[in-house]
Amino acid sequence: MLRRGQTPAALLFLAPFLITTAVFFFYAFGRAIYYSFTDFNLFNDPRLIGVKPYADVLGDPSFRRALANSLVFAVITTTLQTVGALLMAVALNTRIRGMGFFRSAWYMPSITSSVVITLIFLWLFQRRGVANYLITQWQAFQPLILTFLGVLAAAQVAQVLWERSRRLPAGWLDPALAATSALLAVAVTAALAWTGVVAAREVPPFDYQYFADRWISVGGVRVLSVPMLVVIIQNTFTTIPTLMLFFLAGLQNIPGALYEAADIDGATPWQKLTRVTVPMLRPVTFYVITVGRIGTMQMFDQVAVIGSAAPGDTLITLAYYVYSNTFKAGAAPVNMASAGAIILALIILVMVAAQRRFFPSEAP
Amino acid sequence: MTAPAPVRPAVRERWLARRRWARAAWLYAFMLVMSFFFLGPFVTGLLSSLKDNPNEYPPTLNIPQLTPAVIGHAWALGVQGSGDGWQGGLHPGRTVTFEVQVQSPPGAPQDPPAVTLFPYQPVSLVAVARQAQARDYATLDTREVARSGDTRTYRVTVRSPLLTRQTGETVRATLTEPDADLRARLGNGQTVPVRLDTPQAQERQYELNAGQTVELTRGPAGYTLRGPVFERTPLQVDVQRGQSIVGSTLPPSDRQDFGRSFAFRNVTPGVLGYTFNNYRRAFRETADPASGRSLFFSWVLNSFLYAFLRVAAAVVFCSLAGYALARMTFPGRNLIFLVAVLFVQMVPSQVNLVSNYVLLKDLGLLNLWGLWLNGLVAAGGVFLMKQFFEGMPRELEESAAIDGAGPLTTFFRVMLPQAGPALIALSITQFQGAWNDFFWPLVILRDNASFTLTVGLSNFRELYGGQGDYGLILAGAVLSAIPVIVLFVVFQRYFVDTGADSAVKG
Repeated sequence: MLRRGQTPAALLFLAPFLITTAVFFFYAFGRAIYYSFTDFNLFNDPRLIGVKPYADVLGDPSFRRALANSLVFAVITTTLQTVGALLMAVALNTRIRGMGFFRSAWYMPSITSSVVITLIFLWLFQRRGVANYLITQWQAFQPLILTFLGVLAAAQVAQVLWERSRRLPAGWLDPALAATSALLAVAVTAALAWTGVVAAREVPPFDYQYFADRWISVGGVRVLSVPMLVVIIQNTFTTIPTLMLFFLAGLQNIPGALYEAADIDGATPWQKLTRVTVPMLRPVTFYVITVGRIGTMQMFDQVAVIGSAAPGDTLITLAYYVYSNTFKAGAAPVNMASAGAIILALIILVMVAAQRRFFPSEAP
Repeated sequence: MTAPAPVRPAVRERWLARRRWARAAWLYAFMLVMSFFFLGPFVTGLLSSLKDNPNEYPPTLNIPQLTPAVIGHAWALGVQGSGDGWQGGLHPGRTVTFEVQVQSPPGAPQDPPAVTLFPYQPVSLVAVARQAQARDYATLDTREVARSGDTRTYRVTVRSPLLTRQTGETVRATLTEPDADLRARLGNGQTVPVRLDTPQAQERQYELNAGQTVELTRGPAGYTLRGPVFERTPLQVDVQRGQSIVGSTLPPSDRQDFGRSFAFRNVTPGVLGYTFNNYRRAFRETADPASGRSLFFSWVLNSFLYAFLRVAAAVVFCSLAGYALARMTFPGRNLIFLVAVLFVQMVPSQVNLVSNYVLLKDLGLLNLWGLWLNGLVAAGGVFLMKQFFEGMPRELEESAAIDGAGPLTTFFRVMLPQAGPALIALSITQFQGAWNDFFWPLVILRDNASFTLTVGLSNFRELYGGQGDYGLILAGAVLSAIPVIVLFVVFQRYFVDTGADSAVKG
C-alpha cells in the first residue's frame, strides 16, 4: 500500500541514523580526503599542499611494508579460511546426533574478542610455550606416530584388496575397513612400544621464537613475517567455525536430486565436490569472500595488542599505519595518516568492485 | 584357485550397514579432534590462569590449585593467618604454622633448612606507595617435629607481632596521608587519630605509608595501632647441598637450585589467594590507593555500560531506520540504502579516525559518551532490521492505518512489538560488538579509569607481558570472555542466525 505524504514521517524515523552517519561518517570521510591534501598535524591550521602527502606516503618504507603485509595477510587468510570452512562443512554435512552441541562448541572462538584471543595466542606461541611444547612432543613421539601410520596404511591396503577379491566394492578410504585398520595399528604400535622395539626419542625442547624479526622470503623479497604467520593462524582459527556455518546452511539448500543424478552418471566424490557442491555454493562463497576481504584488509586489533612484542615492521598493517601516524608523539603526520586511510579505502572498494565484476555471485 | 562367488544380497546389506556405522564413528572422531582444536586454546588458557606460573615448562595439567587437599591447606593457612579462609593474609597478633619435609641422606649435612621471609612488591598500573612487608615485622621459628628414616619434618612458625597492649574491638582501617599525627580512615569513611601505645609501634610509625591497610583496637581512650595487615606472607626455604626438600604444606610457587630452594609466594593464601590468585591480582594490582577503586573493576563496569548503551540505541534507532527503509516510500530511499547502509559498511573505520577524534576532542567528549555517540546507529543493525521488516505481512499496517493510526503509533504499537526475535538478534550482535570493540575505545578513551576491558587488557599486555607474567593477563582474558560466553549459551540460536557480523571480525 503506497501512500503519499510519508516523507516527513520517514525522515523523522531516519533522522538519528542519517544525522550520526552524516557527522561521523560522511563529514569525517570528507575531512579525511581534505586532510590528505594538506599539511595538517593535529595542532596547526591545515593548508592545502596538493598531492605531496600521497607522494610522502608512497615513499615511506613503513607504508610499503604495511601495504604488502595487509595484502599478503588478506589473500592468505581469506583463502585459508574459505577453503578450510568449505571442506569442514562438506565433511560435516550429515544429520547425526550431537551435531548441535559440537557446532556451538566450535563457535566459541568466533564470539570472543580478538583482544582475548590475541593474548591467549601470544601466550601459546612464546619461546617456551604450549605450541612449541606440542611440537617437541610431536618430534619425541615421531617413531610411534610413524609406526602407527605405516601399519594403518598397510592394513588398509591389505583389507581393501581382500574385500575386492570378494567382489565387494571397497574404496581405498572405506570407513569400516579404516576403523579396523586403525584398531589394528593401535594394537601393533602398543605392542611394539611395550616390547621396546620402537620408543619415544629424546629431543631437545623446540625453542623457536615466533615473535622475532624473522621473514619468509621468496626470491630475496620478504613476503611474510613469522609473527604475521601466527596472526594468520589465529585469524583462520577464529573465522573458520562461523564461515563453516554459512557453508552448511548453503549445503542444506542444494537439492539432493543433483547428487543422485551425479551418482547415476558414476561421478567420484571429488567430481561431486567440484562439479556440484562448489558451483551450487557460489552465492555463499561470494558472500564469504567479500566479507573476509573487507575484514582482513582492516586487520588492526591483533597488531595493536601484540604491539612491541613483535619487533619492527613485522606486523604493521595499513590500519595500524593510519592509527600510529595519527597518534605519533609530537607533530603527528596526520595528513599522511589520512592519505594512507584513503588508499586503504580505495583498495577495499576496488577489490569488492572487481569481485563483483569478474566473479559474479550467480553462476553465468 | 577358483574365482570368488558373486556376493549374496544379505552379505552386501550387512556390509553396507557396517560401513554406515563406521562412517558415523569417524565423523564423531573428527568432530572430537576439531573440538580439541577450537576449544583447546581456551581451556589451556583457563587452566593455566589458575597456576602460580602459567609459563611452567613443560606445561602440565597437574594443577595443585585444583587439588582438593591443597585447597584445604590453603583454607586452613588463611584461617590461621587472618581468620578468613577465603581471602587469607597475615594479620597482627596471629601465628601460622607451615611444615616442610627435608631429606638428608647419611653423609649429607643434617642441618635444619634456612627459612626467610622475602619482600613482594607488585607491579601496578597505578603508582602504589610501598606497602609494609611481612619480612620487616613477623618473626620466624623453625623446629624439628618428626623424623622418619632420613626425612625430617620441620615446623616453621610465623608470628605477626601485636603493636598494642590495649584490648578491645578490632577494626580495619586505611592510613591517610601523613601529617603531624598518624591518622586512619575507617570503613565508614570517618578519619580518626591513631595512638601508638608501645615503643615498637612508635618505632614503626614512619615506615608506614598512606594507603596501608592496618588493624586498630578501639579502646576507651580512642584507637590504637594493632599493626599493618599483610596481604601475603612470602616464604623462602633453602637447604644445603646434598639435602633436598621433599614435601611442604603447600606446593612451592617456584623451585630453584636443583630443588634446594623453594619459594612460596604466599603461605597464608586462603582459597581465593591460592586458586584464584591471578584473578584477585587483576583486581588488586590495579587498585588506586587513594580511592581504593580497582581500575579493572572500572573497566568491567565501563564495558557493561557501553554495551548496554549501544544496545539501547540500536533497539530504538536501528529499528526506526530499518522500518523506514523497508516500508515507507519517500524520494531517495534506494540512494540512502545504498550509500548510508551498504557503502558505509565497506569503508574502513580508519578513514574516519582523524576527523572523529578531533571532533570529539573539540566537544570535550573523549569519554564513554563520545564513544557511544560515535557508533550510535550501526549500519549493520539498520540492515538487519530492514531485512526483518521487509518480511512482515503488510496487513498489520493496513489495519492500523484503517484505525487511523499515525506512523509513529503504527510503528511503536503495532510493528515493534512484533519484532521480538529480530530485536533479540540485534541486541546480541550489538552487545557482542560493543563488548569486543577495540579500535574506537582505543582511539577515544584517553584516561585509564575510563577504559573498556579490551583496551585495559591490551595495557596489561604492555605492562606484564614484557616480563612474562602471563598469569594476570590470562586471568583478565578469561574474565573478559565470560559475559559473551554466557550470552552465547543463553541465546545460542540467535547467534548462529546472525553470525555475519563476527565473520568480518579482523
